[in-house]
Amino acid sequence: MIKGKGLALGFALVFLAVAASAGYARDTDLSAQARKCLRCHDKEKIEVTFQDGESVPARVVSDAFKASAHGVLDCTSCHGAYSPEGHPKRQFPDRDQFRARMNSACRGCHSFEQIRAKSIHAGIQKRESEGKAAFCSDCHEAHSMTAVRGGKIYAGEKQYCMSCHRQDLSMTFRNKERISLKVDLSELESFAHDRLRCSDCHYGFSQEEHPKRTFRSRRDYTVASSESCRRCHFDKYTKTLDSVHYTILSQGNLAAPVCNDCHGAHGIARVSHGIKGRILTTQKCRKCHTGIYEVYAKSVHGKALLSEQNQDVPICIDCHTAHDIQNPLTLDYHERIPQMCGNCHANPSVVAKYNLSTDVLKTYLSDFHGVTLGFYKKQREKLYKPARPIAVCTDCHGTHSIMTMAASDPKVVKANLAKRCQKCHREAGEQFPSAWMFHYKPSPTKYPLIFLVNAAYRIFIPIMFIGLVLQVLLHIWRYAVNR
Amino acid sequence: MRTGRDGGKPMIRRFSRLRIAEHWWIILSTLVLFATGLCQRFWHLESSQWFILKMGGIDNVRLIHRYTGLFFSLELIVHVVAAVAGLARGRWEGSMAISRKDFTDAVQNMRYYFGLDDQPAKCDRYDYMEKFEYWTILAGGFLMVLTGAVLWFPILFTRFLPGEIIPTAKVLHSNEALLIFLINALWHILNAVFSPEAFPLDTCIFTGYISRERMAREHPLELARIESESAAGHPEHPREKPLGIPVANPETVRR
Repeated sequence: MIKGKGLALGFALVFLAVAASAGYARDTDLSAQARKCLRCHDKEKIEVTFQDGESVPARVVSDAFKASAHGVLDCTSCHGAYSPEGHPKRQFPDRDQFRARMNSACRGCHSFEQIRAKSIHAGIQKRESEGKAAFCSDCHEAHSMTAVRGGKIYAGEKQYCMSCHRQDLSMTFRNKERISLKVDLSELESFAHDRLRCSDCHYGFSQEEHPKRTFRSRRDYTVASSESCRRCHFDKYTKTLDSVHYTILSQGNLAAPVCNDCHGAHGIARVSHGIKGRILTTQKCRKCHTGIYEVYAKSVHGKALLSEQNQDVPICIDCHTAHDIQNPLTLDYHERIPQMCGNCHANPSVVAKYNLSTDVLKTYLSDFHGVTLGFYKKQREKLYKPARPIAVCTDCHGTHSIMTMAASDPKVVKANLAKRCQKCHREAGEQFPSAWMFHYKPSPTKYPLIFLVNAAYRIFIPIMFIGLVLQVLLHIWRYAVNR
Repeated sequence: MRTGRDGGKPMIRRFSRLRIAEHWWIILSTLVLFATGLCQRFWHLESSQWFILKMGGIDNVRLIHRYTGLFFSLELIVHVVAAVAGLARGRWEGSMAISRKDFTDAVQNMRYYFGLDDQPAKCDRYDYMEKFEYWTILAGGFLMVLTGAVLWFPILFTRFLPGEIIPTAKVLHSNEALLIFLINALWHILNAVFSPEAFPLDTCIFTGYISRERMAREHPLELARIESESAAGHPEHPREKPLGIPVANPETVRR
């Protein structure tokens, strides 16, 4: 019984000791010397002024210092010239001179070899070899230094990264191309990704790790960087996998555009569906498709977009889509064109204000070409039957070069149309194009003959059929009555 | 005498083999033409699309339609040649010609149906309904063949005709097809099946024979003529053999 009580008491004492040491361990760790210095240096507004007039706070927050990796050290371990006995008055010409001096203090314990062993320090060495100063205190806070492993040196990661990347750093690729690694934080923060941390995109990098990576070329690096986007924008990423751009890229052509080519890297703009955003989008495509852009800019759609700031006209992505861009030369794409044009041209809320007919899609689809196209599409889907290309909107109107018909001379239109017809119907003569009713529905004024024939049959057929059926019924009725 | 016997009933030969063959010819060709044509006219219907895909696609359907049209055109040509030759050789009297009597017959029948007259019209070899059907399919057939040819070879026709004839041919072809379908197929079948005299099916165009009883009721004038002629000793009256193709032995008892 007594033995048991003693054991319990022993445990309680040990527990108290552990608890006390855990809670107050650091407090007791401050050296007597440090405590003496901090009596003054923990006061607010204590400053040091350099010869150039710049002043920096000389305050050391004792709690932060206590918690730091260097909390056990004497102040004189780094500030060698000072001691509790002597506080010489020294003046540095400027802040950088002071920090350079302090660098050498660090090297007293952390040898150059040790520093160099960490890949994150590769840039510093290089800068030093180029004669530029690199200050340990840029990244490692002077008095609130935390242990590198598991500790956060800075409150914010962005701030941490920027401590180097606000400098004129650069990266050299294996093919000797160089890019600047200087990041303009103000640019980054005024765009869509302002809330992200650096490592959200530059994964693998953190306050602890800074792997050394080498790329063959600048383009290789851009392509590799665009892989980051899919971590958040997975839907868009999967779409791009179906695109013609990705196909080209996967065939080894690195000129194919990746995310950052259109969206940028640090200055990623928020998606804008306003007129400015739409014009800007066309400029992205223009970067590679210059020739097509020039043609588009002269077309009825392009002119309206660029000179009238018209929001109704299609831009590149309205037909080609933005991410799952298809090869426009495939039959599949060709078959979808009437629907694409119809999205606007069969929609009264879009085209009615321009005095354009909304019957264009209907009249096309119900005529020979449209019906055949519809069946070829179904046959390909259901019977796996190869199909011939059938004339769609763009085969007569052009694709990027679409012009308005309003101002053109009907004779010229007909002559041009004959040439278009001859592309498929080689033997077609001059009269052949007028077999096409130019999207008009027959009416008393347009194609009156066809209108009249239709109307006559529409009246004649029901009267005739009802009359004849009545004749049969009357005959049966009479026959029954007579019997 | 051009008579046979069916279960004791006296039968009269009404159609020659050529007419029976022509009827089959028209049945077969129009069946195919309607099947492959109506699905093109009503292309937007689900059933039409199902049928066209079952046929292996629109190209197949168009091909079948066009060559069946050609087959149908041949029948029209045969018919016209036979008619012209029959008329020229005096072997056919043109019993399908429309006369004033047809209109008065129609009026009389209407009066009869509504109880204003006790007698239906007394018709000759073809009554006004039969003539109406014949002429609609003959005229309609020619219209279909012509417009069909224009639609088959638009490039050829627009060499010497204005381009507008193509859409005109299209509306004529598709509307006339509907008319022929309703009158000459649907209504004709209704009539041949539900005609009280012939129910459940008027077989005389298939067998070539009609009962004397029906002749007396439907074609009394012709019956009277046949019987007076046979009494006068002209048993081989040629009027229904336009090409001189012999009909079956008149004494043969059918079925």
